[in-house]
Amino acid sequence: MNTVAYTAFIAFLSSVLTLVSVNALSSPDAAAPDDPEIITREELGRHDSADSCWKAIHGTVYDVTGFIADHPTPAAVMIEWCGRDASEAWDNKRPGRPHSSFAEGMLERFRVGRLVD
Amino acid sequence: MANNEMTARGEWGVMRRHPRAADLALAAAVLLPLAVALPRLGWPDNDAGDWLAWTGRATGILGLAMLLLAAATSIRVPGWDRPFGGLARLWRLHHGLGFGAFVLLMVHALSLALAAVPLGLPVAVEVLFPPFSRGAIWLGWLAWLMMVIFLAPSFGFFGRPRYQAWKRLHLVSAVALLLALAHALPLAGEAWPWWLLGMSGLAAIAWRKLGSRRARLAYRIDTVKPLARGVVELVLAPVGRRLVHEPGQFVYLTPLDEALAAGRGEEHPYTITSAPADERLRIGIKDLGDASHALQSVSTGSMAQVEGPYGDFFGRHPPGRHRLWFGGGIGITPFVGGARDLMARGSVDGQVLLIYLANRGERAYYLDELESIAERLAGFSVVVHYYLERGALDVAFLVEHCPDFAGREIHLCGPPAMNAHLMRLLAGQGVPRSCIHSEVLDFL
Repeated sequence: MNTVAYTAFIAFLSSVLTLVSVNALSSPDAAAPDDPEIITREELGRHDSADSCWKAIHGTVYDVTGFIADHPTPAAVMIEWCGRDASEAWDNKRPGRPHSSFAEGMLERFRVGRLVD
Repeated sequence: MANNEMTARGEWGVMRRHPRAADLALAAAVLLPLAVALPRLGWPDNDAGDWLAWTGRATGILGLAMLLLAAATSIRVPGWDRPFGGLARLWRLHHGLGFGAFVLLMVHALSLALAAVPLGLPVAVEVLFPPFSRGAIWLGWLAWLMMVIFLAPSFGFFGRPRYQAWKRLHLVSAVALLLALAHALPLAGEAWPWWLLGMSGLAAIAWRKLGSRRARLAYRIDTVKPLARGVVELVLAPVGRRLVHEPGQFVYLTPLDEALAAGRGEEHPYTITSAPADERLRIGIKDLGDASHALQSVSTGSMAQVEGPYGDFFGRHPPGRHRLWFGGGIGITPFVGGARDLMARGSVDGQVLLIYLANRGERAYYLDELESIAERLAGFSVVVHYYLERGALDVAFLVEHCPDFAGREIHLCGPPAMNAHLMRLLAGQGVPRSCIHSEVLDFL
């Protein structure tokens, strides 16, 4: 048992240090598009249902249609914010508490463009 | 039976075919928070990232439950250990829970970070080390750091510290527990299981440190009887209420003799050698460390505190079944208590054969008394096996003195090497494990 505990401890430390080191040595993310697609509020408003659900969060538009079923909260809550600026909902997962950085990273997968007035 | 100071101390650990009710209750408590959270967690998709994220959450929940229950099972209240098969076994469960918590909580953190790798390495690193505004995550790291500090000695990361230093360091567990709760409560979907398990863990620690001293009984050391070189029997008289116990149980003894060279005011576990009917409490002590060495010359008339009894030595076994006892070294002490109890009762249920394993005659302490009991009590007999004359005990010796050994209820207690040898020998003769009762305890 002692050997396993010590091995797990060293393995954990090594893995965390590897993750941190590789991240520190990596070049900045080149995959991010320099020129995101422009999306108007009118166009955003057309995607306001479970069939096509776009949301604007802090100026960026995301297509979360495929994620509604996987989101932990009930679908109705998710759909309520479709076609709108959902920054307020994003910043208040629970009152006063924003979504996690983990969720933030996940959101990037759904980015479709930049909101303009 | 050995005594004290992180050395071997045998205890009956009844190996059963069926799990104990207390074990099942403990397992249910470990699984409770996960069972409550499962409807919320759902089941992961086939995507590796989903599996990792799910594993990260599930191991976090299980790990924290084990950490809190490790604290709860560190409790020491006379009688509470018996449903678990004695204090030795209860604390083995405690040790196992602590080990499980330590490993699972590291899997928890790493899985959550790895689950975020598809989203980019910066996200994965931020899962582990977010901005300080997300304080709950950093409290988790602090809790883990505290765990490393108090568990490293238990798992011998950097060698073994002295017993008293280890005990003091283990108090850091209370801080780890509070930090872990502070980490989990803001992040957890369901709070009540954590409050429930957290309070039971904290209550156990508080009892150990604040309440248990009140459960100690006052005794005066009447006689210090030398048995062999480095072995004495203390005879203690109660000052007030006397300890009620069963044969073969043990107590924590805290000597208060100011003339002691070491161990004054320190508690250490020792086996009771007196029969439950004896008004005096008798304790066999072998010189195995500083404290037990000092006790060899403790002043008669000095005071001591006694806490207990603990252990489930003779447990419960089918009535009328013949028994075979193997005692070696200071591991003879529970059998001395057992034999004195049989003598006090005046009868033996079934037959009892004690095989006393010693190196040579001078080291066979208590033998004269045991043989005297055997002469006077029908159904109880003693056979001596001297290692220096016959080598390790073998099947031929066993068959010669106890031909029906395979059908008996077998108890063994002695140095770890003796226990291991006998376990191998008996298993090789087809004796079911469920009929062999033995456990070596090295961290009481």
